[in-house]
Amino acid sequence: MWRKLFASVPAFRAPKAPCRSFKSSSRRAEKDFNKDLEAQFRAFREKVAAAMPGSDWSPFELTPGLPPERADVVIVGGGVVGWSIAYWLKRKERVRDGLRVLVVEKDPTYSQASTVLSCGGIRQQFSLKENIELSMTSADFLKNINNHLWVVNEDPVDLQFNHSGYLFLASEKSAHIMEENYRTQRHAGAKVALLSPSQLKERFPWINTDGVALASLGLENEGWFDPWSLLNAFRRKAMSMGVYQCFGEVTGFRCSSNVAEIADGDFVDVKRIKYVNVQMPNSLEYQPVESAVVVNAAGANSGKIATMLGIGLGPKESISGIPFPVEPRKRFVYVVHCPDGPGLDTPFLIDYSGVYCRREGLGGNYLTGMSPEETEEPDISNLDVDDKFFQEKVWHHLANRIPAFEQLKVSSGWAGFYDYNTFDQNGIVGLHPLVPNMYFATGFSGHGLQQSPAVGLAVAELILDGGYKTVNLNAFDLKRIFLREPILESNIV
Amino acid sequence: MLKVLVPTIMLFPTIWLVPAKWLWTSTTTHSLSIALISLAWLKWTSETGWATSGSYLATDPLSTPLLVLTCWLLPLMILASQNHINPEPASRQRLYITLLASLQTFLIMAFGATEIIMFYIMFEATLIPTLIIITRWGNQTERLSAGTYFLFYTLAGSLPLLVALLLLQQSTGTLSMLVIQYAQPMLLDSWGHKIWWAGCLIAFLVKMPLYGVHLWLPKAHVEAPVAGSMVLAAVLLKLGGYGMMRMMVMLDPLSKELIYPFIILALWGIIMTGSICLRQTDLKSLIAYSSVSHMGLVAGGILIQTPWGFSGAIILMIAHGLVSSMLFCLANTAYERTHSRTMILARGLQMIFPLTAAWWFIANLANLALPPLPNLMGELMIITTLFNWSPWTIALTGLGTLITAAYSLYMFLMSQRGPAPSHVLKLPPFHTREHLLMALHLIPVILLVTKPELMWGWCY
Repeated sequence: MWRKLFASVPAFRAPKAPCRSFKSSSRRAEKDFNKDLEAQFRAFREKVAAAMPGSDWSPFELTPGLPPERADVVIVGGGVVGWSIAYWLKRKERVRDGLRVLVVEKDPTYSQASTVLSCGGIRQQFSLKENIELSMTSADFLKNINNHLWVVNEDPVDLQFNHSGYLFLASEKSAHIMEENYRTQRHAGAKVALLSPSQLKERFPWINTDGVALASLGLENEGWFDPWSLLNAFRRKAMSMGVYQCFGEVTGFRCSSNVAEIADGDFVDVKRIKYVNVQMPNSLEYQPVESAVVVNAAGANSGKIATMLGIGLGPKESISGIPFPVEPRKRFVYVVHCPDGPGLDTPFLIDYSGVYCRREGLGGNYLTGMSPEETEEPDISNLDVDDKFFQEKVWHHLANRIPAFEQLKVSSGWAGFYDYNTFDQNGIVGLHPLVPNMYFATGFSGHGLQQSPAVGLAVAELILDGGYKTVNLNAFDLKRIFLREPILESNIV
Repeated sequence: MLKVLVPTIMLFPTIWLVPAKWLWTSTTTHSLSIALISLAWLKWTSETGWATSGSYLATDPLSTPLLVLTCWLLPLMILASQNHINPEPASRQRLYITLLASLQTFLIMAFGATEIIMFYIMFEATLIPTLIIITRWGNQTERLSAGTYFLFYTLAGSLPLLVALLLLQQSTGTLSMLVIQYAQPMLLDSWGHKIWWAGCLIAFLVKMPLYGVHLWLPKAHVEAPVAGSMVLAAVLLKLGGYGMMRMMVMLDPLSKELIYPFIILALWGIIMTGSICLRQTDLKSLIAYSSVSHMGLVAGGILIQTPWGFSGAIILMIAHGLVSSMLFCLANTAYERTHSRTMILARGLQMIFPLTAAWWFIANLANLALPPLPNLMGELMIITTLFNWSPWTIALTGLGTLITAAYSLYMFLMSQRGPAPSHVLKLPPFHTREHLLMALHLIPVILLVTKPELMWGWCY
């Protein structure tokens, strides 16, 4: 009897192989029976509820996560530009459910997405008026983000927007470009100030002003924020407005072709996309999504999507032989720790040598990096970080500009892709002449994140209103690629 | 009657035996010649109420315009379907046209039936090809739910009709329309008779559709391919109206009180569905709800049981059939090009397709009952007879006319005017076939302005 009592108390039971003892088996069998019965009732109830008309039960097993069979606008790419376009499309539909928008994203973990690997800076110090306007509109949006992206019963959005400004340094050779840009920026309404080396030294004593002829500091609407928060804010709001999200990869399109004669007598194939083939992750199954409009916001992979439509695969002299000029370029970001580094008012410093540095958090950490030379582009097959690049190239210029950084420790680093526009390193927004229902919103070459709210609005206006209303992006249209008229920025990072 | 019915039945061998290269040409020509032969029915030579009568089939001034409409519609349906069915394998194309031709056969036999049971059987039989067309060739997943709604709403209404007909047979001894109009008026005093009255009419009210039981219509119209939408809007809804007109002859004097709630539902439905049209985002859904709105007026006209009501109802049925079918064809042309029915994505089409904008304009004007088109004539007659029954109805019908004009204007402005989004600038141009289709819809409407006696019915 005592042995049975002992055996029934779990604490005293010696660990043994999992098998039921006689004593408790009947009670457990009873409990199991009840649980089974409950489970069966639940299953029955679910089955009955599913079989009622108006539900989407079907006798065929459907793969979970399949996109809908039909969508009005399919946005390829679930980065910040894609979700911004989805949000603005839903904002501008006049009635509820006026438009069915689907965002297709290849990677639910966003492990290689440019958005979340970005440093998150926003500046108005560009030389092109359109870039300045885009960033100003976006900064306005970000400052009032909770008026736009609020969701009922959810926490307000906190972007951790540090308004510290950007500080560009120019040498003797490029000071005149900086002055010209300053005039353009002031004309467009950006709040920028030019500083002489002595003013610079007074304001930021930790800078070594050797070789600096002029500096340009952004006073308002510049700084950095958390890209992941912005992406999630757009996504949360867009999904609350009814945007469909699908995790899958766009592997092809089904189009209808027409032959058109262009001005110089050549014949080209004009393709109109009818279906977008979305392949499910880890599966061969794909769903053709019937769509009216497709938006290519795939970032670094935009070139691949364009190739699927035959752009760039035609004869070299014709318009279809010009490939879409966006390709991924790897850029490194290093996190360094320097206890004696510059303080809280550190702006996002960009030296004329190309090195950049900004404060990260409040613990003496800084993000830094540099654009490599054109000839020494790192390998894009993976996102491995090259530490030697920091040691050999970045540190030298960094320590030269900020002497405190001669003593620092690299805590970590990561790499991300720029959706690099090899043509002129500025965004490409508009329709392709050969594919009349694919809009492009890509190729921002490192400033996609900061311009995403305004670009989303511009693309939504293009799709629904037929033209730009807020910011005029006609300069970013694709025809500059075919006319071979690049619009170049005088300073890029 | 047989001179039209036999060629229609011979459409089946034509469809299946013709070489695939000639399929569309031959079926279109065959059905067009059937349509032209059917025009001979319009010449009224009979002294009695019925003409061209055989043992089971006959025509009379009520069924003749509907029969001609049915026969006219088949070549139009085949013309409209040509583009989207072409990519399919040949046998499936033949199957599709077979379904359309079988619908035609059943409809001819339904409208020409002299025996009410035959009418009932043909009424039910039309459900099957329509269901197959909607669920097999529809474009979205929702077509399955649309087919279910369509089938079960109509069936739920028509099973009581079967019982009611059998009871009628018991009490009068015959169900032939030729005879039953001369039968002894029945003693209809008990509650059971009231239920019998409702049983006679519910099936047709569901089919019309009346506002409370209209839910199947937007689903079925939107999910059906273009030929399905055309035949549904143009003819199948009129089956309900026609059935009601035939049945109500026997249902006096109960009708005097019992029509009250149904007329109220019909009038309220005009306003409600008209208002829903103003908020639609899907073009076909807008046209479907406008069909419900017009049919509400027709239902009111029939239930009122006056000569003006009947004439107005028939005129509006014919005119609405042609115009609504034309609107569905136009919506389909936009859908085939942009692959979306959302109105906000296909705007400003006037600058891109000017001639089609003219078709859109005329179709929308006809829909909002512009004089001298028969739509207005039918509506005016129904509104007048309702006013005679009760002056207060003018508030509802007048408001309904206003809302009809509002949503027709909305449809036109949304699709044709406004800034054209960039992705519609390079749409493929219109084919002659599509322009022919619109013209063939519009020419009968305009010709009927000149000779409305053809569709007045027997009341004049």
